[in-house]
Amino acid sequence: MSPVWGSMAQYEMVHWSWAIAVYLFLAGLSSGSIMVALLVKWNRHERSNSSIWDAMIKSGAVVAPLSILLGLLLLVVDLGRPLSFYWLLIRYNITSVMSLGVLFLLLYTPIVMVFMLLVFERSVMKYTFLSPLIALIQAVKELHSYAKIIEYFLFVTALCISSYTGFLLSALYAIPLWNSPILPILFITSSISLGIAVNILIGLLFFKSTINEESIKYLLVLDLRVILTELPLLALLFIGMFYAGAESANAAKAALSQGFWAGLFWFGVIGVGLCLPLLTVMIALKSHVYRISYVVINSMVVIVGVLILRYYIVYAGQIYLG
Amino acid sequence: MGKAYRLLYDENACIGCQACSVACRVEHGVPEDFFRLQVRMELKGVFPRLGMSYERMACVMCEDAPCVSVCPTFASFQDKDGLVHIDERVCITCKYCILACPYHARFVNPLKNVVEKCDFCYESRVSKALLPVCVSICPTEALMFGDMNERDSLVYETSHKEALIFPKAHLKTKPKVAFLPKRKGMKS
Amino acid sequence: MFAQNRRDFLKIATATPFIPGSLGAMGELTLCCEDKSIRSMCEMCSSRCPMEARVVNGKVVALQGNAYDKAMGTSLCARGVAGISQLYDEQRLTQPLIRVGKRGENKWRVVSLEEALEYIATKLNHLKKTYGARSVIFSSKTGESYDMLRSFAYAFGSPNVFSHWSSCPIAIESAFEHTFGETMHRDFENANYILNFGHNLFEGLDIPLTKAMARFASNPSKKLIVFDPRFSLMASKANEWYPIKAGSDLAFVLALLHVWIRDGKYDKNFVQHYSVGFDKLEKALKESTPQWQERLTGIEASVVERIADEVYQAAPRCIIDWGHKATTSPAEYQRSRAILIANILMGNVEKRGGIYFPKSAKRINAISFDEMIPTLNEAYPRMFPNEERLDGAGQHGSYVFVPKEHGVLQAIPEAILSQKPYAIKGWFLTRHNPLITLAHPQKMKEAIQNLEFIVVNDIYLSDTAMMADVVLPEATYLERDEGIRDQSDKVPCYTMRNCVIPSLYGTKSALEILRSLAQKLGVDKNYKWDTMAKLRVHQAKGDDAFLEVLLRRGVATFGIPELFLRESKDVERFVEHYPKSKALLCKEGCFSHFFHTLQTPSGKVEIFCEMVEKIFEGYGLPCAVDMDVTQGYPYVLTSGKSAIHTNGHTHNIPYLHQLMSDNPIWMHPQTAKAHGLKMGDAFYVENGIAKEKATVFITEGIRPDTLFAYMGFGRDAPSLKRAHGKGLNPSKLLSLRSAPVCGSMITNVGVKITKV
Ligand code: SF4
Ligand code: SF4
Ligand code: SF4
Ligand code: SF4
Repeated sequence: MSPVWGSMAQYEMVHWSWAIAVYLFLAGLSSGSIMVALLVKWNRHERSNSSIWDAMIKSGAVVAPLSILLGLLLLVVDLGRPLSFYWLLIRYNITSVMSLGVLFLLLYTPIVMVFMLLVFERSVMKYTFLSPLIALIQAVKELHSYAKIIEYFLFVTALCISSYTGFLLSALYAIPLWNSPILPILFITSSISLGIAVNILIGLLFFKSTINEESIKYLLVLDLRVILTELPLLALLFIGMFYAGAESANAAKAALSQGFWAGLFWFGVIGVGLCLPLLTVMIALKSHVYRISYVVINSMVVIVGVLILRYYIVYAGQIYLG
Repeated sequence: MGKAYRLLYDENACIGCQACSVACRVEHGVPEDFFRLQVRMELKGVFPRLGMSYERMACVMCEDAPCVSVCPTFASFQDKDGLVHIDERVCITCKYCILACPYHARFVNPLKNVVEKCDFCYESRVSKALLPVCVSICPTEALMFGDMNERDSLVYETSHKEALIFPKAHLKTKPKVAFLPKRKGMKS
Repeated sequence: MFAQNRRDFLKIATATPFIPGSLGAMGELTLCCEDKSIRSMCEMCSSRCPMEARVVNGKVVALQGNAYDKAMGTSLCARGVAGISQLYDEQRLTQPLIRVGKRGENKWRVVSLEEALEYIATKLNHLKKTYGARSVIFSSKTGESYDMLRSFAYAFGSPNVFSHWSSCPIAIESAFEHTFGETMHRDFENANYILNFGHNLFEGLDIPLTKAMARFASNPSKKLIVFDPRFSLMASKANEWYPIKAGSDLAFVLALLHVWIRDGKYDKNFVQHYSVGFDKLEKALKESTPQWQERLTGIEASVVERIADEVYQAAPRCIIDWGHKATTSPAEYQRSRAILIANILMGNVEKRGGIYFPKSAKRINAISFDEMIPTLNEAYPRMFPNEERLDGAGQHGSYVFVPKEHGVLQAIPEAILSQKPYAIKGWFLTRHNPLITLAHPQKMKEAIQNLEFIVVNDIYLSDTAMMADVVLPEATYLERDEGIRDQSDKVPCYTMRNCVIPSLYGTKSALEILRSLAQKLGVDKNYKWDTMAKLRVHQAKGDDAFLEVLLRRGVATFGIPELFLRESKDVERFVEHYPKSKALLCKEGCFSHFFHTLQTPSGKVEIFCEMVEKIFEGYGLPCAVDMDVTQGYPYVLTSGKSAIHTNGHTHNIPYLHQLMSDNPIWMHPQTAKAHGLKMGDAFYVENGIAKEKATVFITEGIRPDTLFAYMGFGRDAPSLKRAHGKGLNPSKLLSLRSAPVCGSMITNVGVKITKV
């Protein structure tokens, strides 16, 4: 029967587009980088201001608030009615992951900014034009005694942020690719790897720290581990779909084999995001050449890879419905 | 007692004429090239052993409605009779509900910039004891509508006579729309 | 009495506030806040379904079926509902146009209606004086505007009136005429078994019939067999579908008749008493065995045998269904006749679940010996001018059996181009779009270029209107009053089109336009009316109660019980109601006398038609002729309706265009593969007449040797901004050849496929 029921465009529309993919990326980046920074802070070996470890903390303290603010801006602007976003702050539906997300963001965002101020306390003092912030710092200083607690709290909220972005999608059983318990785990994992990569990169570029072979080796190994957990997670995601009924199985098949997005998956997510960093790390570790450029390149491909992963999940999920 | 509305769609009688779709457009001013309702036909089989399935695509009024549970602002809500509506005032058009609906029933009305879907013509007709416009217009009486609490209603009678099919029943959304099983020709 | 009450009738027949939901729509009344319903008649296709419009504050907000007609309920089809979309479409014609550029160049001057009519009157007078009145053709789709146009044309002096019949139902209408003396109807409601030869009620809708058919088809205890080269929606609802070879229905029916006669399985009583020519049929069908038809139709012989038996078992509650727009092959007349004869052999005539004569007021009055049901006065006096028609329809030659009221449209281009039998110089069309709906529009366009004067009355600047000298914007059916129409079916029934809202742009109806033209030309002395109100009063013979019902309800029925003349129970009940009718009872307790006084030459049902045989030897009986539609080409291009669009009318209407804006050509995957075509690819369909570009829709639902196109697409007129340039107009590949005897256009045509 040739169609007589009119345009199908509305049924084939991608409702959550690049802005959401980027938001998911930025939220992952923010939470990932802060978690990594905190882990480093708690576990770093030496207390030297110029070490890479310190640079990573600083980087996290900058990246996390900036990216979450940017992400939030994007999120609001992407609403069909941006000016009515305040309803989100007035009405809470606890069965909605989106509402939960708003709550988490309301907790997370201020704390992450406080954390930034604490980390950059001395720089703020140095620059007179930042003097209006001094009062704030003074107030924050009062909290110093609670610093550890704040850090723990920050870590937990960051974990919430990075996992909620996964739950936001996985709560929708209308979309087979999203509706998987693996997705939040995958998002947490990839946001940690993203946090590592970005913190290293920003640390190296802006907080000119001294860096030694040992640190580089350590960082590369860290990356390797995260990537090696991501691969089986992705596999699990699709295997799960194949066992979740015909619709899901069809969606999985299509998402892996049809059109642009399948190509992007193999080339971008698997190739660029996982195999390429894996390759650089392996080569570096095997040939014992620990150059900074390795670390930089490695970080960049990881970042690109994670961005592609978010894009792929967002788009392919909506396009391949089985 | 609240109403237990039910809408039945009989694909045996449906001829895919789209009268329901156009009537819906007129009733609700559905914008150009958007649809609250479509009836699709799909050919099955290989020549000359063929069959055609007819399917109504519209909100099925889930009792456990994913669109309602995901809506952050309660813009999507259920009324006392369990019908799902949209409160245009508080809809922020986040489109989360559109993605959550397994029946692809929702869209953003580009003129009003809020989410829209079939509402069983509640405001304009059902609340005034009129049938939904699709039901009333259908040339072949393929649609039936009524209250399951009324024992003598056509929907009650038909529901108890036929082995109803609830669309995507495995999702346990408990739709108020049900389909009558196909009787002739190739099964879909 | 008439004279005395005349004023009152007029009051009723026009807007009167005391009638809720009637003509109150006219005048200032609409300005106040109000919400009312007006019952009228749909005109989105020619099925004329009774409908109801809801008007709120002078705006039409909804259309639905008119539930005063039980067979309608509140149902309406997509097109019917989209009447609103047509009414408020900003691409509609709103003002009269006079051509300023070259013909067809689409350059116009906007004029007042008065100026346009003056201009038309002058031009028509000029043509009449120079070439004679017969040099002007008049054409319209059947309906009231056709009745009016015909009376106008005859008064003007031209015999050359054409309806759309020859491009639509003329074959079956001729078959009715020659077999029963009048048109027959089908009682789908009570039938148990239906053989359907492509009568696609699920895509060519008529609400009451479609509804009955849908009920039938979805009832598991009834049986529907569909023969169609394409898996139509009808086929999808059937118990069995046979992809019969295009154009070969006749062979199947002949074999069916053969089997029944061979086995003595037919209603011998009916055949013997009420028909003529059965013995000749018996002889003629000796050869048309089930095995013989196999080669022609592609259906196994055993299927014919089985179906023949099943139908006979179901008789008389069975229908061998004819089509409406049955124009499939040159054998059209024979096919239609064979189908009617199949019904006759099954003895289903005037039986419930069979076929029946419409029970008009006149008929019921005659049987009941009572004048209780109102009959109508003739409003459109029609005195045929004693002139030769350009096609000889109804007069002489090959179209002698074509009613002279309808003519053969396909004969027009040749007549214009050759100026034979005489000069044709003008054409007046109302709601008629031959450049889309008629075969070989290329030739028609060429012919039209030679005309001196063309007037088109239409809602849109259609493909044909583009070629006109004067374009008149017609009021849509929601904006006009019309007269009373006899729409009797199982019981006497009248309908009336009531104006729903005042004309949006002050446009007039065809009736009003023609009435004032008649006055301008001074040929209006026979009209007993000059306004719609007076027309209605005249028709209703001043019966104000009758008129009021029609104003209020849009339909009038009279509580007459359904009557099938050969169903003794019906007859019994009827006699109870109307004791005087007892006089007509036959010994079986039926009204069988009727079958001796039919309007056929013999007065009986004519299986053999002597009158036809005399002029067309071999055509007096159905026989296997003219079934080839391929003309040696590898494929047959067939066409048909969809439930979304009407012929050449609705394709630009927003709501309908949105649903279906194109007509990709159906093609079997095997065929597509053979030509290297993928879904949506462009290709050429080509034959000796045209080579047209089309896109392909690949589907299992069609025979590999057949292509299918929904009709009415491929519009060239740029003013139809939405529909312009979309799809293929299958008419462009059709030849102007007509089917023998009935003069029907042939819509199946041989083509080949070439790659782009
Ligand atoms: S109006 Fe009725 S028959 Fe037509 S498509 Fe809708 S449900 Fe089917
Ligand atoms: S069909 Fe979709 S829109 Fe309708 S109630 Fe269910 S989830 Fe909500
Ligand atoms: S788009 Fe509107 S109705 Fe839908 S989830 Fe968002 S706020 Fe709720
Ligand atoms: S079939 Fe549809 S378009 Fe035709 S008259 Fe009836 S309602 Fe109108």
